Amino acid sequence: MEELAIALTFGVLQGSVYSLVALGIVLVYRVSGVFNFAQAEFGTTGLFGAYIAVVLWEWPFYLGLLFGLVVAIVMGLLTERLVIHPLRNQSKVTLLVGTAGVALTVIGIQFWQFNDPLIRQLPKISDAVYVTPFGAPIMAQQLITLAVLIVAAAALAVFLKSPAGLAMQAAQQEPVACELVGVSVRRVSMMTWGIAALLGGLAGVLSGAYTIFTAGFLTFGVGKALLPGFIAAVLAGMKSMPGAVAGGLVVGIVEQFGGLKMFGDVPGASALLLLVFLVVVLLLRPQGLLVRKATA
Amino acid sequence: MTKELPAVLLEEEDEQFRVSPGGWLGRGVVWALLAWLVLAVPSNFLSPFEIGVTDINGFSHAAIFAIVGLSLNVLIGYTGQISFGHQAFVGLGAFVSAYVVTDLGWEFWLAVPIAAGFGAIQAGVLGLISLRLTGLYFAVVTLAYGMFAQESLFGIAAITGGEAGKAAPRPIGFESGYAYYYLCLAFVVLVLWLDWRLMKTKSGRAMQALRENPRVASSYGINVKAFTLLAFAVSGVFAGIAGSLLAHADEVIVPVEFNFQLALLFVLMTVVGGLRNRAGVVLGSVFFAFLGSGKLVEWFGLVGFVEGVIGLPKEFVALVIGPILLLLTLTAFPGGIGQQIAPVKMWLLGHRFDMHAGEVNEVEVTDVRA
Repeated sequence: MEELAIALTFGVLQGSVYSLVALGIVLVYRVSGVFNFAQAEFGTTGLFGAYIAVVLWEWPFYLGLLFGLVVAIVMGLLTERLVIHPLRNQSKVTLLVGTAGVALTVIGIQFWQFNDPLIRQLPKISDAVYVTPFGAPIMAQQLITLAVLIVAAAALAVFLKSPAGLAMQAAQQEPVACELVGVSVRRVSMMTWGIAALLGGLAGVLSGAYTIFTAGFLTFGVGKALLPGFIAAVLAGMKSMPGAVAGGLVVGIVEQFGGLKMFGDVPGASALLLLVFLVVVLLLRPQGLLVRKATA
Repeated sequence: MTKELPAVLLEEEDEQFRVSPGGWLGRGVVWALLAWLVLAVPSNFLSPFEIGVTDINGFSHAAIFAIVGLSLNVLIGYTGQISFGHQAFVGLGAFVSAYVVTDLGWEFWLAVPIAAGFGAIQAGVLGLISLRLTGLYFAVVTLAYGMFAQESLFGIAAITGGEAGKAAPRPIGFESGYAYYYLCLAFVVLVLWLDWRLMKTKSGRAMQALRENPRVASSYGINVKAFTLLAFAVSGVFAGIAGSLLAHADEVIVPVEFNFQLALLFVLMTVVGGLRNRAGVVLGSVFFAFLGSGKLVEWFGLVGFVEGVIGLPKEFVALVIGPILLLLTLTAFPGGIGQQIAPVKMWLLGHRFDMHAGEVNEVEVTDVRA
């Protein structure tokens, strides 16, 4: 029982990172219809930005974190300008390969510039560690991530109801009609990618400090959040924002169950559970949870 | 008042153009050079280079990568779906083949079709699941499958032999690296032929139609799901063959080889090679195979420059240059390497040398929701 409680706690905490990534994936998918494989890499880029500012340039800590977020946003905007916009009339698979290309390019640059030493560490916002009644050590940093997720999700919900947010939702449904009533689809697209990159950046800057990191940290490194983020987004039917948040937490918990004693003999039980979970979701409820109608 | 539409200009072959005897001689020389490069140089026949026993394995790998490239080309190029788990398909093919030969004691010639069958089953099942939804869900499902294979499936020591790896002896008659290289070449030719035949059939045309626009294709009575599944299965077969060949080329295979970076490299080489262009895909795969192992950098004597001046270990070159090539290919040269070599290819096939041959005229799809 205690073991289960620990898994649940860790699952929710790790899941909040996935939720942040999934929010970005869903946001981009709603506006551009692209599976954004660069989403996790926005995070790693922000992480490296923060690392450069805080550790290498010795900037004040919070200014450094801010710099990391700005780097992530700039990367998001550049991705939209240089890759997504030129390819907007191409097939979806071309766009997907384009976003994967962006991720790979950034990973390549990270490998090239930071291969000596390969392993780096960013200081945490708070080094405090709490122990819950049932014995799970929780980093204060993880609680901060959870809080940031709640704030970000709430802010996003408010934003989507504001005029700019409504314009964003309109542009995804009827781009031509939107242009006619004076909404700049271009600007909306830029804004979307900027916000998505900011969400990715938050995930990177916060979760990167949990442990040591290397190039491609959030894509295939220790803190890989790309696949869990995608599963969470699929769970949200690729369109529901609350679904993305809930999906991230659920995926986090499912992944933590892989560490239970009953799976002790199964190598890589977490990866196995994630695959099984994704398959079950696609078989039983392909339109996603928390989504009323099937996707058109 | 009606305006007369401009006449549709059909691109007709220049009837007047005949290749002169000198022209045929030139083409013959280039063909001979190509044949010499592919067939003679690797076995040190009439060659000023010395290809060692370890280097010949690099050539075999290049041929195997070409098969993987053709496998992904079926997916990305013909049906517009994409797989990020191809390293798992290739890897399972490799381990199945090694298991059949080493543990069951069967022949290599039986192991190849069994590995190919496993490839087809994997890709088919994953395809069935992901086709529950329209969209590129195959990418996400294969990504999950690749991670599962890497961490879980290949961790089962009974199949993969654990960290130490699994022995996969070469078939009788092909024990030497040089002989094995020609075996790989033969399989490349086989896969090329299968691919070519597939595209000539009704199924091939159906696949191309559904890539252009699934809705229009289905309104013409094409069973979109069935043909997409067929493409997945064919891609899986090719990947299984490649995996089997890879296992016996290395003779000992270790699970760590089949990581996510490899899947990314596979996608890179296929797209940079040029989708729907067999020659381009093969060249792109060969290029990345040599670049990835650091051989290309060595041959051109660039090790000092790359590692000293740029500060990049030579094994990382493909990871850094590849993605930049990929983005350039997508945004500026959608035809990839296949487009770049098209003038030379047409010339070799007995046409006039035309700098503009092979330019991709993609029909712009204005309704992006389709």
